[in-house]
Amino acid sequence: MRRHYGKASLKKIFFLFLILFVFLLAGCWDRREVNDLALIRGAGIDKKQNGKLELTVLLYIPKGSTGSEQGMEGSGGGGAMQTLIRSAQGNTIAEAMSILQEKLPRQIFWSHCEVFIFNEAIAKEGIAEHVDFFIRMPELRERSQLFISKERARKILSLLPPLERDLAEVVRELGEEKIGMTVTTKDFAEMLVSEAGDTAIPWIKILPPIEGQEEKRTIAYITGTAIFKRDKMVGKIDDSLTRGLLWLRDEVKYSTISVTPKGTKGYVSMKLLRANSKIIPKIRNGKWEVVLKAEADDDIMQNTTDLDVTNPKVVKALEHQLNSQLANRVNETLKEVQKDMKADVFGFADAFHREYPEIWKKEKHRWNEIFPKVKVTIASKINIQRQGMQSGHPLISSEKGKAE
Amino acid sequence: MLERGKISALQMAFMMNPTILATGLLLVPAITAKTAKQDLWLSPIWASFIGFMIVFVAYRLHRLYPKETMFEYSEQILGKIPGKIVGVILVFYYFHVTGIIVREYGEFVSGTFLHQTPMVVIFSTMIIVSSMAVYGGLEVIGRCSEMIVPVLLVLYLVIFVMLLKDLDTKNFFPMLENGLGSSLKGSVVLQSWFSEFILVSFFFPYLRDQDKGMKWGMISVFSVMFYMVLTNVMSLLLFGKLTASLTYPVMVAARYISIADFLAHLESIVMALWVAGTFIKITVFYYVLVLGTAQWLKLTDFRTIVLPIGFLLILFGIWSAPNLQVLSHFLSTTAAFYLLSIQVGFPVILLIIALIKKKRQQMKGSITG
Repeated sequence: MRRHYGKASLKKIFFLFLILFVFLLAGCWDRREVNDLALIRGAGIDKKQNGKLELTVLLYIPKGSTGSEQGMEGSGGGGAMQTLIRSAQGNTIAEAMSILQEKLPRQIFWSHCEVFIFNEAIAKEGIAEHVDFFIRMPELRERSQLFISKERARKILSLLPPLERDLAEVVRELGEEKIGMTVTTKDFAEMLVSEAGDTAIPWIKILPPIEGQEEKRTIAYITGTAIFKRDKMVGKIDDSLTRGLLWLRDEVKYSTISVTPKGTKGYVSMKLLRANSKIIPKIRNGKWEVVLKAEADDDIMQNTTDLDVTNPKVVKALEHQLNSQLANRVNETLKEVQKDMKADVFGFADAFHREYPEIWKKEKHRWNEIFPKVKVTIASKINIQRQGMQSGHPLISSEKGKAE
Repeated sequence: MLERGKISALQMAFMMNPTILATGLLLVPAITAKTAKQDLWLSPIWASFIGFMIVFVAYRLHRLYPKETMFEYSEQILGKIPGKIVGVILVFYYFHVTGIIVREYGEFVSGTFLHQTPMVVIFSTMIIVSSMAVYGGLEVIGRCSEMIVPVLLVLYLVIFVMLLKDLDTKNFFPMLENGLGSSLKGSVVLQSWFSEFILVSFFFPYLRDQDKGMKWGMISVFSVMFYMVLTNVMSLLLFGKLTASLTYPVMVAARYISIADFLAHLESIVMALWVAGTFIKITVFYYVLVLGTAQWLKLTDFRTIVLPIGFLLILFGIWSAPNLQVLSHFLSTTAAFYLLSIQVGFPVILLIIALIKKKRQQMKGSITG
């Protein structure tokens, strides 16, 4: 009986110890409280005169502490300030980050960093070394998007967007719309290790604020694309050339095209429903060629001409015109990017590698010579599917059309 | 017999899945991509042949000595002294390998989430939990896996499905650019993972339905192969050539998931999968080590040495490598031959000798009879 009692109490002591261990566990080394974290929403990298780089971070201020944080750096705009920016200099991002930590009472937390903005000057020197940090750092996510701008990244990050929570959110959402290119850290690294190794990153610009509004009360938006030879920026293309680039990369999602049909003065605007494109490489008698096969479905959105767009013949003509317009667009892009910048951001090298692995192995080292000479032919097939809700008689009478 | 518990063949199959996959899933794509390039998804298929073979070998040995594990029948096959020597090699081998697994677990946890936490703490917490399971015996381990593993396998598929929209099938091509050679070379490292299937030989004697052992063993090899192919396909289609330069491709893949802006940051699922899977893996190895040591020392109960061995495993975890670079270098180079020679070489030699012995006995029998 006594023995039994002893065993039971031993067991109790054992469990007591187990419970005590639980208290030890609460003091984990990696414990981080939310109120000790500085949540970084976006980061910008600028070049300083002294050769160092400047890391600027956009921090999210949790609601509630807003009032007390007023008057901080970057809080130019009145109203509920939800963000603040801080900068630090260093030779590498990692170094700048630890210097930045000196200026922050809370621990830097990268997990929610959605965008990285590089200044043009940095981009021209090469950004692979910085992207290395983005991938190596365990906290950072590979879905963060990259952007290039002419303005200082710090200036862009300090904008106070009227509609969204902060600038990082604005730029990220704009990127998700996929009107221009969208490049995540992963995409960039993937392009960098691809056969050609040339890359492209969307270009952002500050939208001029509405008159009378405060200067900072605006956003940055994506317009055009920065083209990189490997990781060094060599040039920039505008919005319309970016469309051509997207067609070549099979990344077209949204687009509206207007054409002026022959013999009229107005426009017919069409909305793209879906698009598919494919590049088919061919090597014929030592000549390297690429065929761009594109297919798209469009809906008519607006008609300012006197044409009857319900007429299949008219539709046929419109389709024909769309095709040639697409070819022009792509050719312009090719002229600029392929012939002038000589950067293979279209994935031609990979396409050849896939199709002709044997030849590729032999000719790989000559790709820089071959690439500008690759002949591209465009075979597109655009279908106009419907005329929209307005059918039958065009609202614009032919007389009016003639009178103009 | 030391182990009185019985498990079903299905439980054994469940147990073997994370035992191979847990460490494999995270490291395999990057390791195979280095040599196999875009053919990396073929490598697990080649490597699985070793798995099928080793289950077959284990089963044949089991048929010859139905009530014994490798530690016991190696003495019968080779004789007392050589058998004991083989036993000690196996014991040290399992010490080393389990130490490496513990280390891999620690490296991943501290490399991705708990950067500041000392490795010893990460090791010990896992070893404590595992030692409880080992203490409970085979039945406990079997039931644990029956509960955990189906969830793991399904969750893993969910990750794959959620990534579908980011996958690019172009990355498959050019298929077989360098012939079969590169994918075969890539499979060498994987073979060492598949050779771990020799562990089934320690479970065969304790199966409730012995005749189904072979069948479920083979099924689990197949399912492991399926998951490895799936993993490699996933990393290849998502990262293309980048796969080779990532440390934990699957981890990054899970992080890359973003559906409708709110279903994102899913790496915690991978973490849960990994910790639960590694728990089974470490427990299985730990159990075999404890059982083997007890059998080798002819103890009457294996429970007494569970904790001491657990303590040693923590030390082996620390000793196995100075840093992650050395660890993954070892895993992608020498380890393949080391693991293969013991996990494939030994059993095959044992089987051959056993079969010759049996033949001789039969001949003797027929002569005297």
